[in-house]
Amino acid sequence: MSNRRSLGGRYILGKVAGSLGSLAFMLVLNFFLFRVLPGDPVRTLARNRLVSEKQIAELTATLGLDQSLPQQFVTYLQNTFTGELGLSFKYRQPVADLIGDRIWPTLVLVGTGTLLATLIGLWIGVRSAWNRGSRFDKLSTGSSLTVYAMPEWWLGLILLAVFSVGVGPIPGIFPTGGLISPGVDPTSIEGVFDQAWHLTLPIITVTLAYLADYSLIMRSSLLDEMGQDYLVTARAKGLRDVMVRRQHAVPNAMLPSVTLIALNLGFVVTGAITIETVFSIPGLGLLSTEALEVPDFPLLQGTFLVFSAAVIFANLVANLLYAWLDPRVRA
Amino acid sequence: MKHPVDRRTRWSALAASTALIALGLAGSATLSPPAAGSTGSEAEEKVTFTVGLTNQPDSLNPFLGIEAESYEMTALVYDYLITYKAEDMSPQPGVAKSWETSPDGRTWTFDIRDDVMWSDGEQLTAADVAFTYNRILDGGPEASSWGSYLNSVEKITAPDDVTLVLELSEPNAVLPLLPMPIIPEHVWSEISEEEVKSYDNEPPDVVGSGPFRIIEGSADGSTLRFAANPDYWRGAPHIDELIFRIFKATDPAVQALQKGEIDFVEDISATQVDALEGEDGITAITGDSPGFDEIAFNTGSVDLETNEPIGDPNPAVLDAKFRYALGSAIDREAIKERVYQGDGTVGSTIVPPLYDTYHWAPPEDVAFSYDPERAGELLDEAGYEMGEDGVRTMPDGSPISELRLYARSDSETSVDVMAFFQEWLADVGVPGEVLTAESSKLTNIILDGEFDAFEWGWYVEPDPDTMLSYMTCGQRGNWSDSWYCNEEYDALYDEQHSAVDDAERAETIQAMQEMLYLDAPYLVTMYSTIGEAWRSDRFEGFTPQPNPGGIMLLQYGVQNYLDVRPVAGSSLGDSGINGALVGGAVAGGVALAAVAVVVVMRRRDRVTADDRE
Repeated sequence: MSNRRSLGGRYILGKVAGSLGSLAFMLVLNFFLFRVLPGDPVRTLARNRLVSEKQIAELTATLGLDQSLPQQFVTYLQNTFTGELGLSFKYRQPVADLIGDRIWPTLVLVGTGTLLATLIGLWIGVRSAWNRGSRFDKLSTGSSLTVYAMPEWWLGLILLAVFSVGVGPIPGIFPTGGLISPGVDPTSIEGVFDQAWHLTLPIITVTLAYLADYSLIMRSSLLDEMGQDYLVTARAKGLRDVMVRRQHAVPNAMLPSVTLIALNLGFVVTGAITIETVFSIPGLGLLSTEALEVPDFPLLQGTFLVFSAAVIFANLVANLLYAWLDPRVRA
Repeated sequence: MKHPVDRRTRWSALAASTALIALGLAGSATLSPPAAGSTGSEAEEKVTFTVGLTNQPDSLNPFLGIEAESYEMTALVYDYLITYKAEDMSPQPGVAKSWETSPDGRTWTFDIRDDVMWSDGEQLTAADVAFTYNRILDGGPEASSWGSYLNSVEKITAPDDVTLVLELSEPNAVLPLLPMPIIPEHVWSEISEEEVKSYDNEPPDVVGSGPFRIIEGSADGSTLRFAANPDYWRGAPHIDELIFRIFKATDPAVQALQKGEIDFVEDISATQVDALEGEDGITAITGDSPGFDEIAFNTGSVDLETNEPIGDPNPAVLDAKFRYALGSAIDREAIKERVYQGDGTVGSTIVPPLYDTYHWAPPEDVAFSYDPERAGELLDEAGYEMGEDGVRTMPDGSPISELRLYARSDSETSVDVMAFFQEWLADVGVPGEVLTAESSKLTNIILDGEFDAFEWGWYVEPDPDTMLSYMTCGQRGNWSDSWYCNEEYDALYDEQHSAVDDAERAETIQAMQEMLYLDAPYLVTMYSTIGEAWRSDRFEGFTPQPNPGGIMLLQYGVQNYLDVRPVAGSSLGDSGINGALVGGAVAGGVALAAVAVVVVMRRRDRVTADDRE
């Protein structure tokens, strides 16, 4: 029994090595991918501002774009391994600092939203499947599908119009955007509550938008398990209904949800660009889309490196988790 | 109940009480600010003016920031030697009280004020100005932003604390305008050229001399906070605090204004202005902005080294007569009504009429008006005769091939204008097809000469020198996007650039516009507008730039931040604090309700289980 549950060292090593390989590949791809984009950062930044060729030459030199491509690649590798990730063309600050500033709002917003969506979604999924055809099932499946079909930004705008501006008898109590009220110290108790108050609507939007993902997958995978003989056996043993569900049916129905959770956790750092836009939250998703306009090579490389590293890491965790949940995967 | 309290219900009870504590905390924490505010009478009178911006500044370092919003922040924190007059954007004394020019126009002497103080208590002297300008003159990142204002300046010296001398190699007509922020030598001398590249210049250590002091925020953040400088040499502002909030989308910004969270919203659409116009306590305007939109032609793309043609322009657009004829085929009024929602002014030349000293108004006999017949006649005269199939032919009798009309895919306006243009061209027998490309890609297409026409626009500074330079031969392959090259025009450009007499210069500049109008590398379609709205029930004192018809904020200069004042008797109570209280209570309530639901559901689990058992 203990042998079956423990993971083979070779399996783990193999998966870790594979992930490192993917990461190295992304590191190289990252550099060339963005240089294929149309557009010249110097021209975008200088349009309507810098007149003489001398000024443009100065800007090109400042941005390091006067170097040859192989030289730029070496600089890129150096910057990556020192952890500084280079200087953003647009903001002229170390990319690592910018990412450091922007990652927290995104992690809190999308992380909390994803966590809530997972918990509530799985709970709804289990409940709907267990009582299939009940009023709860019909209502939850119908409404979660409706919300799922709405564009996220539209859902956000509606919530904003209703709960922050106010409609009819509903008072507008939430702020229209931003992370914190001006002049409030974010580390004080008041600051923490102020931020929670600012993030309430965006988190609700993320939760609603992601909810159906989890509830529908959980519902259908649990329905698959419900006809199985082992459940009859479990009931025959005299187990309470809750125990049958919790200890036998749900664990076996979890695998598809684990995949989804792991994948989505990897995407948490990429942010929810449209929701960040509607609620004016300075997150990582917006940072990367803004960088595309320039194009701001160091910032794009830095953010995409973080994004790909997160997805690769989440996949690694999922792979290891499968093997632990279901020994057949290792074979 | 058979089992009065099992483990799970105990957990639920614990969660519920935690939520209650949190609720209590939320209430008390959010209650405290208004209480603190009402105890001190000083705090009660504090006037805060909050501006919602819809575009992010890029850097607060005056040598690095290039977004309009960054210039605004810089202008609030620093002073200028010579700045722009609020009414007409002409040069106005800043830190320089007066100036003198030598008869040959090559030496400028400025008399600097002695009552300007840095925020750390030191005096601003001519040495600070010389330090700033020399940094720009020496090249590097500093030069890339501001170098063009020191054209032909060779030497900058400060013989004493109140005198600054500029020595030039040849006269420069743009002087005395010197709109570069003056930085303190005693702070910035420690920042090397290499460090400047990434110096963020963010609070708390910013030393400035301007009307406001930045006390909180960063360029990439969502809020920037400024405190008034009570000892400002031009007089203290009438507000105590100035806050900028950055919105990533315009709709929420407009909602924040309606709700009263912000007092001013910058850069909104004409549709949003229309929607706000009827609202109580809000004034919404579309102000003339100093920019124009145009349809530009490929007037002859060449390889700059060999002078051989590059790209594949349609031979028709290389002909100035053909381009000029198309000027009468465009219905600019229809563009204004149907693309720009009726806002703005129909366009004529590349110097907007709000710069009335320099603008050239085309006389009636050459001015374009929507007249397809006249366009047809002009095309006939130029040899582009109508074929039997309703499509005109080239002067040599071959059919005109389709013009490639590029629109910017990232601008709805651009796509709409080009769609209309295609129809109007078809009306006069010229075939065309609309192609779209992203701005960044279009730039490459233009540099390769692989286009016939495109739609874009420019902002024009109060001194039109820069805009005029874009149409010179030397700018081809750089900023010229029409590949226009005319030696006569270039001669006039040089003449106005070193003109010493202002009236003569204005005449030359008008002659240049006439030349461009007739050669038609650009068909200027519209002078654009910017939408703004503010809580006129709370704040007043704004002067538009230009007056009348202009915009209120993001002007040249920051006069309106000095003039804005609360409306007498208005309540400036911050509804946000009450909102925080109610919001906190609601958030707590929601958490409590969630816990209650969990408790009930858990109980029901047990009940079903018991039933089955």
